Amino acid sequence: MRYSLVVHVCGVLVRLFGGMFLAPLAVALYYREFEDAAGFAVAAIVTLVVGHLMRRAGGTSAEEAVERMRRVEGLAVVAAAWLLIAHLAAIPYAWIGVGPIDALFESMSGLTTTGATVFKDFSAFGRGIFFWRSMTQWLGGMGVIALFVAVLPRLAIGGRELFFAEAPGPSEDKVSPQIRRTAALLWRLYAGLTVLQVGALWLAGLSLFDAVCHAMTTLAAGGFSPHPQSIAGYQNPAVEWIIIVFMFLAGANFALQYRALSRRDWRMLVADEELRVYAGIVVAATLLLVLALGAAGGVVPTVRTALFQVLSILTTTGYASVDFQLWSEQAKMVLLVLMFIGGCAGSAGGGPKVVRHIVLARYTLQSLRRTLHPRAVLPVKLGGRVVPESILQVVVVFFLFYLLVFSLCAVIVVALGADIMTGVTATIASLGNIGPGFNEVGPMAHYGDLHPVSRVALILAMWIGRLEVLTVLVVLRPEVWRSGQWTAKGRSAAREAMAEAGDTPA
Amino acid sequence: MRIVIAGGGQVGSSLARALAASHEVFVIDHDPEVADVFQAMDVEFLVGSGTSEEVLGRAGIAQCDFFVAATGLDEVNIVGCALASRLGRAETVCLVSRPEFLGAAGTGGRLGAFGISRVVWPEAQLAADIERIVTAPGAIDAEVFAGGIVRLLEYRLAAGSPLTATTLGGLRLPRGSLIVAVKRAGRIFVPRGSTRLQAADKVIVMGTPEAMHAVEALLNPGRAGSRLLVTIIGGGDVGFQLAQRLEQTPSIDLRVLERDADRGTMLAGRLSRTLVLNGDGTDLEFLESENVGRSDVLVSVIDNDERNLLASLLGRQLGVPKVITRVGRPANLRLFERVGIDVAISARGAAVASILHHITGGATSLLAIVEHGEARVFELVVSPSFEPRELKDMGAAEDAIVAAILRGNRAIVPRGDDRIEPGDRIVVFCTQDAADRVCTFFTGAAS
Repeated sequence: MRYSLVVHVCGVLVRLFGGMFLAPLAVALYYREFEDAAGFAVAAIVTLVVGHLMRRAGGTSAEEAVERMRRVEGLAVVAAAWLLIAHLAAIPYAWIGVGPIDALFESMSGLTTTGATVFKDFSAFGRGIFFWRSMTQWLGGMGVIALFVAVLPRLAIGGRELFFAEAPGPSEDKVSPQIRRTAALLWRLYAGLTVLQVGALWLAGLSLFDAVCHAMTTLAAGGFSPHPQSIAGYQNPAVEWIIIVFMFLAGANFALQYRALSRRDWRMLVADEELRVYAGIVVAATLLLVLALGAAGGVVPTVRTALFQVLSILTTTGYASVDFQLWSEQAKMVLLVLMFIGGCAGSAGGGPKVVRHIVLARYTLQSLRRTLHPRAVLPVKLGGRVVPESILQVVVVFFLFYLLVFSLCAVIVVALGADIMTGVTATIASLGNIGPGFNEVGPMAHYGDLHPVSRVALILAMWIGRLEVLTVLVVLRPEVWRSGQWTAKGRSAAREAMAEAGDTPA
Repeated sequence: MRIVIAGGGQVGSSLARALAASHEVFVIDHDPEVADVFQAMDVEFLVGSGTSEEVLGRAGIAQCDFFVAATGLDEVNIVGCALASRLGRAETVCLVSRPEFLGAAGTGGRLGAFGISRVVWPEAQLAADIERIVTAPGAIDAEVFAGGIVRLLEYRLAAGSPLTATTLGGLRLPRGSLIVAVKRAGRIFVPRGSTRLQAADKVIVMGTPEAMHAVEALLNPGRAGSRLLVTIIGGGDVGFQLAQRLEQTPSIDLRVLERDADRGTMLAGRLSRTLVLNGDGTDLEFLESENVGRSDVLVSVIDNDERNLLASLLGRQLGVPKVITRVGRPANLRLFERVGIDVAISARGAAVASILHHITGGATSLLAIVEHGEARVFELVVSPSFEPRELKDMGAAEDAIVAAILRGNRAIVPRGDDRIEPGDRIVVFCTQDAADRVCTFFTGAAS
């Protein structure tokens, strides 16, 4: 691994992120919140300077460097850039007096579309800050790096490694053979759906500001709301139905939606196994939840509430249309199970993803059948296609590491004073990028009272969870660092070899 | 007619044998060794390639009526047909062995652009034939004619079968069905009312689909509706095709035994409900460990006669009630059935029948060859000069019977007082030797 290249590309990405602060800056200025605006301006300047310095320090010109990016370098760039961007995005919070850990928590929770908050008193913050919270989720939902891959022509080739390191589903899912075009088309769909939802929410009676903030956090499967009581604070059934629809879309594979939309072929959606299972889980969990809740408040409101909560947890959005902390243990159990499932691959949702559960379930079943028929050839299939053995292994390893990270983090949080339910749900809600858990971190509560070390652990869990565990863990391997070097010796060696062969143009 | 056959393999030689008597046949093959087979026949053998213009010219392709490309290579067959259609006016028949040359409908697909009039896929036809036999419980042969309105089933009677109770005249067979032939001690004949069936007789029954359902229920009480476990040994082209077809029937549980691990992986990937087992179908221990004896039907379609025979006999020993075996060499067909295999069937047979059907079409068409060529089923259009009369006035023959009269889109299984009129379409069952006589009788022309 060449550190110089990693630093350089990170610098390119960070510098571009500096431009993102202009949007909340404009909002803050519009609402005459000048102190917040100053924070955004400072953050923008710091980010631009840091990005520029890193870019310079890395040395090599981008065209040369990026096209020769290796897989591990792509992973390192993505992991490092996410961590760095989270710190820089925390500057506006820190500027207005939020403590450093809390500022980073809020920023990481935003970018990873978790939606867990440490803000206790919502009235203390201006609209610019709320806009920025929602916007970090919107950027993180489809992927900051995917956005940069789409707009940066220079990342055309190395962008491939970056794109898949940021959104590592079990299989590569492209809508165009060109990665830059894939990223651009998916972002266009994502932005289009967001605009559609803004319109719908506005028509349903929300203010334009609230409509924009909620649309951005719904499509990102994020869950931040400028309202302290989340969606429950509006008591508006139309708003809930609109959010239900868009949460469902946010949790479904965007590449699949794009293909179906561009070919006007809706049968593709029905034929997709992951989408069918995803829809099946939604229906089954809603039915169970309705049974557990009882239809005391009327059937339609109960179904709506159950469906809303199921989608909110399954897609890892994390909105609350009621305070489900007050529900029965049975109803809470349904939600707890959903926390371990997550959305579809290629969606904005987090968690282990539906498709990995399907593959793991089939793999297990086939292993059972193999004991009955030792000589049987039993491939695991998805959508009629055989899943290669290499991917099966990665899926199994993914679950093992997911559980490992989960247990470690839960142990830390509980050891530092939380009760078990709080510790377990806070961890899975962070690792799965969901947001609210139960008890102390329930939907109407916040993470601010957890031990500071727990909060740091949860920040790392969000980061690891958003990049789907393996991206981060691979980069943490010591041999990656031992083999590292500052400049690209490999390149000059290759050039010398070429010179010896007489290939160099004079 | 002048007929050119490229490829002197089993299909080529069977075709040449069947056509030599009444047509001018040229056979082209690049291997001079196969010439021996054709020495004994009244055909012209040319050494060379079917894709060579010069060789085709020597075979008189310009005046040729039919060109059959039957080499083992699909691409060679296609190029041969394309050349033949450019050089003359021949109708071309092309044999293929891979599905990608067929269109979605299973027909010639886009091969028409190469001047190919008809595509024949022997493995697929064999798979379709086996499928019909597998899905007809108890039957050892099954055919469907005239767009599905006439069916043929062949059974081997067990001791105590309801058909052996009394003479045929006294049996109450379902209306619309007819026992057209009995094979006893190697001789095939059309039974009369006074014939009494015996255990171990093979009987061939024809009739309308509804009547044949009743016949199936009569001969296999209690089998209808239960699940069928089918084991296929050999996952080659035929095994794969057959498995794909049988997967369409939900009440069938399927297993394919394939020796080659890579092929097995491919099969398991392409098939959805089938359990693919990686092992040798001739390995008794393996067959026992997988409980193959519990299967209702065993189909052995390995591309090797000896191993097929071994696998089938092992299956029989383990207690499989119905064993179907693919046979490569036509000479082995009867031998296999003699040593205890219920159905021996060859890919070439099915392909040859369909090509003959295509070539000899017209007023008479050959619908099926049954009992390894000992008997045939024809569909005829009765000639206008035929004097109308009732069946009972034609006298009973030992070697031919009118199995059905087709009027509109329904079939009438005739009784003695039904009349045959000029212009009727009829389905006739007759022995091999009687074929020409029967065709002449009804149509005034030889087949």
